[in-house]
Amino acid sequence: MDKPDKLARVEQDVLSAMKKPGIGYLAALGCSATLFLCLLGLWGYQMMTGMGVSGLMNPVGWGVYITNFVFWVGIAHSGTLISAVLFLFRARFRTSFNRPAEAMTVFALLAAGLFPLIHLGRTWKFYYLFPYPTQRMLWVNFRSPLVWDVFAVSTYLTVSVVFFYVGLIPDFAIARRYKEGAAKRIYGLLSLGWTGTRRQWKNYNQLYLFLAAFATPLVASVHSVVSWDFAMSIIPGWHTTIFAPYFVAGAIFSGTAMVITLVVPMRKILALDRYITDDHFESIAKILLFTSLIVTYSYVVEFALAWYSGNPFEMETFRYRALGDYSVMFWIMIFCNSLAPLTLFVRGLRRNVVFLFVLSLLVNVGMWVERFVIIVSSLARDFDPYAWGTYSPSIVEVGITLGSFGLFFTAYLLFLKTLPVLSITEIKEHL
Amino acid sequence: MMRRLKRRDFLRIMGGVSGSTLLSSCGSPKGSKTFISYVLPPEEGVIPGEATYSPSTCAECPAGCGVSVTLRYGWPVKLEGSPGHPVSDGGLCIRGQSSITRLYHPKRIASPMLRNGGGKFQGISWEKALALVSESLAASRREGRTNLFLSGRTSGSLSRLIDSFCRTREVERLPEFEVYSHSAVKEANGLLFGQREVPRYRIENADFLLTVGADILETHVSPVSYARQVSRARGEGGFLWVHAEPHLSLTGANADRRIVVSPGRETIFLLYVLRQLLEKRAGKKGLPAEVAGSLPRMSAGRASEATGIPADTLKEVCDRIAHARRPLVIAGGVSTAHPGGLGVAAAAGMIQWVTGAIPGLVDFAGRENDERVGTFRDMEDLSARLERGKVGVLFLSRTNPVFSLPGRYAFRENLGKAMLSVAIGDLFDETMREAGLILPLSHALESWGDVEPRRGVLSLVKPALEPLHDTLSEGDMLLRIMGEGSGKGTAAGYRDYLFGEWTRRFGEQGRDALLKTGFVEESLPGKRVSLDGRKAASLFKGQNATGREMAGPVLVLAPSLRTFDGRSRGLPLLSEIPDPLTTISYGSWLSVSPGTAKASGLKDREEVTVSSGDWSQRFPVKIQPGLAEGVVVACRDFVDSPPLRREERTGGAVEYIEAVGIAKSGKTAAIPILSGSPSQRGRGLVPDPSHKDEKHHHGRESLYPEHSHEKYRWAMVIDLALCNGCSACVAACYIENNVPVVGKKDHLKGREMSWLRIEPFYGETGDVEFLPMLCQQCHAAPCETVCPVYAAYHNPEGLNVQVYNRCVGTRYCSNNCPYKVRRFNWFWHRWEKPLNRMLNPELEARGPGVMEKCTFCIQRIRAAKDKAKDGSRKVRDGEVTTACAQSCPTGAITFGNLLDPESGVYRLSHSGRVYRVFEGLGTDPSVYYLSGGKGGPGRKSHG
Repeated sequence: MDKPDKLARVEQDVLSAMKKPGIGYLAALGCSATLFLCLLGLWGYQMMTGMGVSGLMNPVGWGVYITNFVFWVGIAHSGTLISAVLFLFRARFRTSFNRPAEAMTVFALLAAGLFPLIHLGRTWKFYYLFPYPTQRMLWVNFRSPLVWDVFAVSTYLTVSVVFFYVGLIPDFAIARRYKEGAAKRIYGLLSLGWTGTRRQWKNYNQLYLFLAAFATPLVASVHSVVSWDFAMSIIPGWHTTIFAPYFVAGAIFSGTAMVITLVVPMRKILALDRYITDDHFESIAKILLFTSLIVTYSYVVEFALAWYSGNPFEMETFRYRALGDYSVMFWIMIFCNSLAPLTLFVRGLRRNVVFLFVLSLLVNVGMWVERFVIIVSSLARDFDPYAWGTYSPSIVEVGITLGSFGLFFTAYLLFLKTLPVLSITEIKEHL
Repeated sequence: MMRRLKRRDFLRIMGGVSGSTLLSSCGSPKGSKTFISYVLPPEEGVIPGEATYSPSTCAECPAGCGVSVTLRYGWPVKLEGSPGHPVSDGGLCIRGQSSITRLYHPKRIASPMLRNGGGKFQGISWEKALALVSESLAASRREGRTNLFLSGRTSGSLSRLIDSFCRTREVERLPEFEVYSHSAVKEANGLLFGQREVPRYRIENADFLLTVGADILETHVSPVSYARQVSRARGEGGFLWVHAEPHLSLTGANADRRIVVSPGRETIFLLYVLRQLLEKRAGKKGLPAEVAGSLPRMSAGRASEATGIPADTLKEVCDRIAHARRPLVIAGGVSTAHPGGLGVAAAAGMIQWVTGAIPGLVDFAGRENDERVGTFRDMEDLSARLERGKVGVLFLSRTNPVFSLPGRYAFRENLGKAMLSVAIGDLFDETMREAGLILPLSHALESWGDVEPRRGVLSLVKPALEPLHDTLSEGDMLLRIMGEGSGKGTAAGYRDYLFGEWTRRFGEQGRDALLKTGFVEESLPGKRVSLDGRKAASLFKGQNATGREMAGPVLVLAPSLRTFDGRSRGLPLLSEIPDPLTTISYGSWLSVSPGTAKASGLKDREEVTVSSGDWSQRFPVKIQPGLAEGVVVACRDFVDSPPLRREERTGGAVEYIEAVGIAKSGKTAAIPILSGSPSQRGRGLVPDPSHKDEKHHHGRESLYPEHSHEKYRWAMVIDLALCNGCSACVAACYIENNVPVVGKKDHLKGREMSWLRIEPFYGETGDVEFLPMLCQQCHAAPCETVCPVYAAYHNPEGLNVQVYNRCVGTRYCSNNCPYKVRRFNWFWHRWEKPLNRMLNPELEARGPGVMEKCTFCIQRIRAAKDKAKDGSRKVRDGEVTTACAQSCPTGAITFGNLLDPESGVYRLSHSGRVYRVFEGLGTDPSVYYLSGGKGGPGRKSHG
């Protein structure tokens, strides 16, 4: 095949994903959208009735909502990692994953951003959390990690959206060529008059490199700030200095798993085997294994520090974590995050896409459970034994959690049909 | 062109405008009459925003504690203990605090009610109701039936009025019915000293106190008074308090030494002590030879075996009492409520005689006014009379025999055989539901009256508002029925009657003083009594050295701190506040010892069926550290018609059920146990010796400047040696601060709203320490730094303030609080009408989604500062105190300004016993605790 034919084929292969949706797609979209509508309904019910419809109580003031927040922010991480960091390192396998990963980042942040609002006792006063000028001279408390969170997450969302969009511009121009009517005009508008001149490519590459460099530190900073929500407190099990690297590694771990979860079926359904190869999967499986080891190391460090501290509060918290009311969750976490990924040392399993898919699901579960265990089991038994208590999520919390998956998959499914699912220009570059 | 305004026109217009403005503000807008409703307008008048106080007396139990009613806009919003009152001296118990919720109870009976043909109650008018009573009284006389009047313990003018009512309307006044009749004590004192009375115990003058079963901190005669006296005695140092009981009570938990005695064997214990005193000739007086000779002889070993008390403990008690200068023995409660109860009371009386406690410590002159209180035997007679169909009209005033009497008395069934049963009360209870006619009683805060709890004390009952419903005070009811009968009409009300009585007794000046201060105290000369040797000798004839053993397992029916004998069950606040020993708030439970629980595999909340004969009742289990094997305990108030026997000699109830069957029902009951752990797990919340040497790092490095305080830094000192866990402070806090009552469902979820709670922590031997936990108003508060919106911030007076309308509800502050004293509003909390009248207008009722917590009663601080500002001075020490400190019967809580070196808190916070909870965390709390364990402050100096 000639080179121009090859190039045209890439364009057609990738853009063919945008053809008229089938019944399966519509059903999946319908399910996801319904779940999201459930979330909105339950949220409204919660605001009308009070936070009491959740299972939250004293002493466990944070539960599934904050678990979901950390989980989704974690998911959002691999987008930037795969896109920006691997771009800087010139890792070629990135090309197969960067678009779905970036999309995942944006949508996961949308889901994540909902939860700090949902968990507020007075959601309608959420704007108090922003430093806006008022004649009453009210200001936010910059000592509170929750304020840092507001800035960290919104910065990350802004940068991720811009990075995602900039990467899409040349592909929009290609899509413009293949489309007719209104769609053509929309893609034309989105491509910002891209013509592919030498000057445009020069500027584009400079901007993309800059954005990649700009986004990379955010990988570390955003999840560090999220971890400080916990580490800045004085709660045993939260208050520890390893939280920032521990959480960043965990975030990359869970984000990578989610990328596998999304890309495996996508490759199958959209017949992209040629562009996303087993080699690519093997590379990303290595990242998964590496981060799993870091996470496991962190677990060990947490327990070792608690034991070494001799502090009765710390020691009881970790004893309780492994053997107390939430021990089942703890051991699920250990199995999913520490033991199961060890299988990736076997090369055959790294290249087995079905195995990777199953493993990635386990890691997703494990990482959600990890956040739950850290948040809930630490709060359930802090300093004053009189105040100890156990929390279990209510049906409203379960519904809202499922609804956040609804939001994420709704957005992802829409992305599959409206935007080029792989970076056409980059694939072309590597041909 | 505008016309120029002339001077005259201007004046005309201004006059018109201002005149019409004034006119429109005249007249009374709709509803204002109910907004400010006084029976007597106070001299000062109502000043919006300012509280006025009116003296009265608590009517929740017969103790007669003085209260000061806080009125805002003419509505009572809170009761406080009345300082200087001869009974309570400023303290008020949990029931007293809660009694204002009885006034505003949504289920108050609002009008007289008559049972109609269908058995349902129907509202009728007072005229009809009283006419019916009057006709029935006459009709029953014609039929040859007897009219009877039964009431709970009554004293003072009302008692005299009942007498004259009974005389004029030919009604027979029955002995009063009280579950806790103290019949054994009275009987014993009658036999020994010819004084069939419950004497006044002067604990504050004693240096050694031995209480046997008497639950002096819960229900025994006058708990607030006793708690205060114990506290005073402890304050003086060198005071030792030993308590012997078969079960575990709050009283036992607070004694310096608690002795567990086998059920029913207290006599052996006391007789052994008595013998030892005689043998050592340690007493001030001897016993007549015939009495001494009648006492059974026993060796220490046998006494120890029979009572279950270790021999060296027996010896120690004997030594202590022998060496004490002013020892006092009080027997009562469950220890006198068994077949050997008379022996227990008599043995205690003899020890008192021998030690010379009479009359200095045991004062028969100032005795309790409960001579009319009858026994179960009287109630059995009444039931029999009812059954014979010879009873015409039966009045049942403030008493609930259907609930309290054993089912075998068939009181419920026989009540229907009276021609008309007239129940007088304010909330429906078991007896009222069976009655034919219900006369709704006004609350004490709506009525005139007086109470004479003991000789020499008359306490005023003064209305603070007009009756909320169509109710009458008992005095008014009786006077009107008397008037109906005589046909003379009802010219004089009970108020006039009382004023007449008071003027007659104290003169006009005395009466006015009574109205102002709320009480009259007369000093009575001590009464010398002598021991009747013949009767005393007869008491223990044939008493063998071991007594009768009770067949286990024994169910002990204990009096309840929260509901007395069950009479306060209807008040929701008392269910909301947990029992301090078990921390169970809603529902009933069966206390089981840890050993028994282990042997039968029982766990907390597991349901068991307790049965004896025909009677059975289901209880969830609560494992109670410190409880003896073979004994299970249930609160009296939750046991319906228990199969209780009565003691033959005294007629009193036996509060034990022997050989009960305990079977698992296989279910688990949902009862809220609020404490997460019975033990403090070595965390030093209440320091034990192992924490003594812990060094805390006090210097704190901070990026932020230290807080500075110019005039005030508010602080609190809580003396744990004085705190007895009675939870009066908790109730006071609820009412002062509009803390919502959320109910059982939320309690099960761990969402109680109490700003102040009592945390019991059990040691390995079952000893318990109570720790009142409230916001510690930390100087380096973990909650403040994490609040993103400054809703939690540090004010210039050292208070950790919560700005409710700034709070967005992240709950981070609560997560980060090591003391877990912050409370989140999970729902809208509403106060069912008319309970909303009780809301303190000085602070808001918090909406949903907002965090709240103790503020050191900031509204009180503000009021005191405003007052001080008027006088251009600073707030003086003692001028402002928190609601919890005010109510505390033992004075364990001190509040004040730490910057004032003359203040109580300054002095106490520099005491050697001071510590702060979790000091090692560096939170720098403003709440200081004084440790010292049992034995009081004096213990330190005493070794």
